[in-house]
Amino acid sequence: MTYFEVFSLPRKLSIDVAALEKQFYALSRRWHPDRFAARPQAEQEAALAQASLLNDAYRTLRDPVLRTQYLLRLLGVELEEQSKAATEAARASGTEKKQSVPPELLEEVFELNMQLAEMRAARQMGEDEPELRRDLLSAKDAFESKLDATDEELQQLWRVWDAAEDEGAQPAQTSARDAMVTLLNKRTYLRNLVRDVNEALESESGTQHHEI
Amino acid sequence: MAYSDKVVDHYNNPRNVGTLDKSSEEVGTGLVGAPECGDVMRLQIRVNPETQVIEDAKFKTFGCGSAIASSSLATEWVKGKTVSEALEIKNTDIVKELALPPVKIHCSVLAEDAIRAAIGDWKKKNGVAETATVAAAQ
Repeated sequence: MTYFEVFSLPRKLSIDVAALEKQFYALSRRWHPDRFAARPQAEQEAALAQASLLNDAYRTLRDPVLRTQYLLRLLGVELEEQSKAATEAARASGTEKKQSVPPELLEEVFELNMQLAEMRAARQMGEDEPELRRDLLSAKDAFESKLDATDEELQQLWRVWDAAEDEGAQPAQTSARDAMVTLLNKRTYLRNLVRDVNEALESESGTQHHEI
Repeated sequence: MAYSDKVVDHYNNPRNVGTLDKSSEEVGTGLVGAPECGDVMRLQIRVNPETQVIEDAKFKTFGCGSAIASSSLATEWVKGKTVSEALEIKNTDIVKELALPPVKIHCSVLAEDAIRAAIGDWKKKNGVAETATVAAAQ
């Protein structure tokens, strides 16, 4: 049973999350262990399995990124397998593997990581680097808005994919699928960066707090 | 998950961390990423123009212990090899040497990509044709 089937939903990406939540609570009551306390062991276990499937399905489907990743897996997209196959093809042909994200993004990610490392090193020496902190903050803002833009783009692709599903338009669906893979790849870098900058900035304010 | 002794060793004492002059004709730079985890790796080589031997290699990696160990090992291995010998390094060799578990295989893939990207950059700079083009022409 797929997570979509748990909620009797069609296999589509645009989901009414409020309705999903309502349905989740209704189904949770139906499979609640208390209602099976007086039932035979086998029935209790089956209800428990249903409840746990329901929880996994809800947690996955309510989250835009997890939902997209889940659907891509259902479609047979294996990111790691693809990456390995591309490396093997590059080795066999003696060419260079094409990176799955634009080189400019990798450059930016690398540069920002260098700045983060610099900031951590400075802090270990007990030095304050206000300029570096300002740079990191503005870089963080830039990456956060990129992350927002990515999420909007993802929703547009959902609509394309869903419409193609209705119309049985295979080529359109395939290209929407590939675009979603590319977008999610890019998103991983952006999300990590925002997380790392937040950590670096937070632990800094933590240090200052100690000194007071 | 426990890291193997070799991974821990490379992680604690990474070999060849650093930077080579990107603008030098003799230097090839490869910058690659693993979208599975968001790791980034930069590997640079300095090639002797006479002998095509990789005389120096440096790396800088932002990622997990296995990614750092894989790139550290990659720099050790390419040093002293010719460009075409270095192209024979496979990610599976790295997996074996470092005893990487299945969930960390993508780190070794990243290191192989980085070697190829660095060599590709050096070839472009020096007008060396990709081997595929040569093979197709023959």
